[in-house]
Amino acid sequence: MIEFENVSFSYQGQEHDGLHEINLKIADGECVLFCGRSGCGKTTVTRLVNGLIPQFYQGELQGRILVDGQEISSLPMYRIASKVGSVFQNPRTQFFNVDTDSEIAFGIENQARPPKELAERVEQTTEDLNIQKLRKRNIFELSGGEKQKIAFASVYAMNPKIYLLDEPSSNLDMTSIQELAKHLRLIKNQGKTILIAEHRLYYLMNLADRIVYLEQGEIIKIFTPEELRRLPQAERERMGLRAVDLQEILPPANQPVAGKEVLKLCDVALHYKKSGILHGIGLSAAKGEVVGVIGRNGAGKTTFLRALCGLHKSCDGQFLWDGRRMERRARLKRSYMVMQDVNYELFAESVEAECSFGIRNPDHALAEATLGELGLAAYRERHPNTLSGGQKQRVAVAVSMICGKDLLVFDEPTSGLDFDSMAQVAGLIRRLSEMGKVIFIVTHDFEFVCRTCSRVLHFDEGEMADDVPVVTDALPKLRELFSVPDEKMI
Amino acid sequence: MSKEQSGLRMSSDAYYSMMDENRKKGFWLDPRTKLFLILMCVLASMFAPSLTYQFVLVLLIALLGVLSGRWKYAVKSVCFYAVICALTVWIMAEMTGTLRTMFVAFLGLFHKVYACGMLAGIVLATTKVSEFLSAMNRIHAPEKLVIPLAVMLRYIPTIQEDWHFIKDAMRMRDVSPTPVGFLKNPGMTIECIYVPFMMAASKAADELSIASVTRGIENPNPRTCLIQIKCGVVDWIGMGFAVAFFALELCVRGGVIG
Repeated sequence: MIEFENVSFSYQGQEHDGLHEINLKIADGECVLFCGRSGCGKTTVTRLVNGLIPQFYQGELQGRILVDGQEISSLPMYRIASKVGSVFQNPRTQFFNVDTDSEIAFGIENQARPPKELAERVEQTTEDLNIQKLRKRNIFELSGGEKQKIAFASVYAMNPKIYLLDEPSSNLDMTSIQELAKHLRLIKNQGKTILIAEHRLYYLMNLADRIVYLEQGEIIKIFTPEELRRLPQAERERMGLRAVDLQEILPPANQPVAGKEVLKLCDVALHYKKSGILHGIGLSAAKGEVVGVIGRNGAGKTTFLRALCGLHKSCDGQFLWDGRRMERRARLKRSYMVMQDVNYELFAESVEAECSFGIRNPDHALAEATLGELGLAAYRERHPNTLSGGQKQRVAVAVSMICGKDLLVFDEPTSGLDFDSMAQVAGLIRRLSEMGKVIFIVTHDFEFVCRTCSRVLHFDEGEMADDVPVVTDALPKLRELFSVPDEKMI
Repeated sequence: MSKEQSGLRMSSDAYYSMMDENRKKGFWLDPRTKLFLILMCVLASMFAPSLTYQFVLVLLIALLGVLSGRWKYAVKSVCFYAVICALTVWIMAEMTGTLRTMFVAFLGLFHKVYACGMLAGIVLATTKVSEFLSAMNRIHAPEKLVIPLAVMLRYIPTIQEDWHFIKDAMRMRDVSPTPVGFLKNPGMTIECIYVPFMMAASKAADELSIASVTRGIENPNPRTCLIQIKCGVVDWIGMGFAVAFFALELCVRGGVIG
C-alpha cells in the first residue's frame, strides 16, 4: 500500500510542478493513472514514490509518503529500488550498458544476486516479455521502442512490487505502445501495483482502475475509466487531456483543393553506407500543403527528411522546385528542419540573438514581426534554454521564417505534449501552411495528423507504399496505417 | 512445473557455455588489468629513454588494439604517430632558435601524452560498464568515485550521436562543421558546438544517474555480474609484458644496458 499524507512539495527555485496537500491511498495491485497538463505535478508524484525526491531533486517537502508503512524518505535509494521499479520517458538515456543482456541484468547485478540466478532471471524475463529477438544486441542500434522494452525488462528482472512509469509512451510509435500495454497487462495480472504519469490516455483505459486528474499540484478529481470516457469531448479538451478513444478521432470531411504544385520528386532513391534505404519515390506537393510521413522505426522516415533538406548526401534522382532542379546545396538553402530535440539547434544567448545568429545582414524589422507573430515577443531577452519545449520549438520556427525558408520539415513535433501544446503546434503549422510553406512532418500522433495534415505518406519495405489523403473517406486505411486499436483492445 | 524448471535450467547452462565460448574466441582482459596497463603506460611514457622507445610503446598498444578487434583504430593511430615522429626528427635536425624551443616543448608534451591517450581509447571502447563496476567493486574502490566514472564511461558513445544532430543544425544555419569552417569563423563555430553539447551533456548525465540510482547502483553489497570477470592467463601475460617493458626502459636509462 502507498499512502500520501498531506504531501506538499515545491522544487527549489521553480514555481511550477509542485504539489499541494495531496492525500491519496493506493492499494496493492491497483493501477493508477495520473494525468493533467504539463507542469501539473504528475511527474512529481512518481518522483516522491521512487525516492528521487528528496534524494535527487531538492526542494521543500511536507507530509509523509509511506510504502507498506515505511516512510520513503527514510530509506536509502537502493532499498527503495528493490521495492519500486521506475521506467522513464527518454529511451536514449535509460540504459547503462552497451549490450542488451548486461542491461537486463543491471538491476539484479546491483542487488548482488548469485551469478546462476542472474542468468536464470534474464532467461525468465526474456520469455515473459517475449523479447528473444532483442537479446545479445548492441543497444545503440535499437529503435526507441526497443530500447524502452529493454528498460522495462531490466526493471521486470528485479521483480519489484510497485512499477512507476513516467510518460513511457512519449517516444514510441503506435505498435510499440500496444506492446507496452501488453506488458502492463502482464504485470497487472501478476498483482503488481502500477503508477503511470501520462499524456496519452487511450492505451490505458482498459488497464487503469483509477484516473487521478491534477491541476496546478492539486488533485481535482478522481475518475474511473468509465467516467472519463463519458466526459464530453469539449470538457475533456478544456481540461487539457488527450483523446481517450482513438476511434472517436476523425479526419475532416474533405481537404481544400491544393494549389499549384511547387515541389516535385522524381525517382528518388536514398542510401546509407552503401545499402539502399528507400527507392523509387515520386511525389509532388503544392504550396501550403502539409504532408505527414509515417512508417515503422527504421523505415527511413528521418533519412527522407534529411535528404529533403539536403543534409543526407547519398541520394539519386531529382528534386525539382518550380520546375527547376535543386542540388543538395540549393535544398539546404531552401529548407529547415525542426528537430525532435530542439535543443540541438539553439545556439545563442537570447531569443533575439538567436533570430539573427549566423545571418550576415539581419533584418531586425522582420525578426521583430516574426517574434510577434509567433507570440514570442515577450521572451525576447530570455535565454532559449529557460523556455518550455513548445516555446523552443517556436523559436526554431521563427529562425526558419527569418531565414526565408519555404520548405519546413518537423521530426516528431508532438512527442510528450499535452492537449493544449499539441493544439498549439497544430495551430502553428496551419499558420505556416497559410503562408504558403511546404511542410513535411514525421509523426506517430494520429490525433495530431487528423488536425493538421492534408495527406500521409507511408514508407514500408524500402518503398513509398501509400499516399493517402487525410479525409473521412480514407478513414479505414488511415486507421490501418496508424494501427488504431479497436474498441476491444487487449 | 519441474519440467519447466529444468528447461529453464538447461537454457541458462547453454547460455553460460556460450558466454565462455565468446570469451575464448575473442581476446578479453579484466578491467583491473586494463587499469594496471594504463598505470604502466603512464610510467613508461614518463621514463622513456628515447623516441624509439616511445614508438615501440605505441606499437605495443596498437598490438593490443588489434588483438581486441580494433585494428582500424590501431592502424590509424600508428600512422598518425609516425607522421608526428618524422616531424619531430626533422625539427630537431633543421630548426634553430625560439621556433625550435617552442616546437620541442609542445612536441615533448605531445609524445608523453599520446601513448596514454591511445591506450585509454582502446580501454574505453572495450570495457563494458557492468564489468567495470564489478571490477571496481572487487578492488573496493569508493562508490563516490566509481558511479561518476561509470556515468562518464556510458556517456562517451552518446557524444557521437549528439555530434550528428549538431552537425545537421549547423549546416542549416550556414555554419560549416568542418575544420575549414572553423578556421574561417572560429568564434561562431565554437559557440555552435559547445552550447548544444553542454545542454545535451548535462541533461544526459542527470537522466543516466537517475536511471542508475533507481535500479540500485548504490547498493553497498558486493555487486555480482552476469559476465564473470576473472584474471586469467592472458591478463598475467599482458601485465608481465608491461612490467618487462618498463623494466627495460629503466635499465636503459640507468645505463645497465646499451
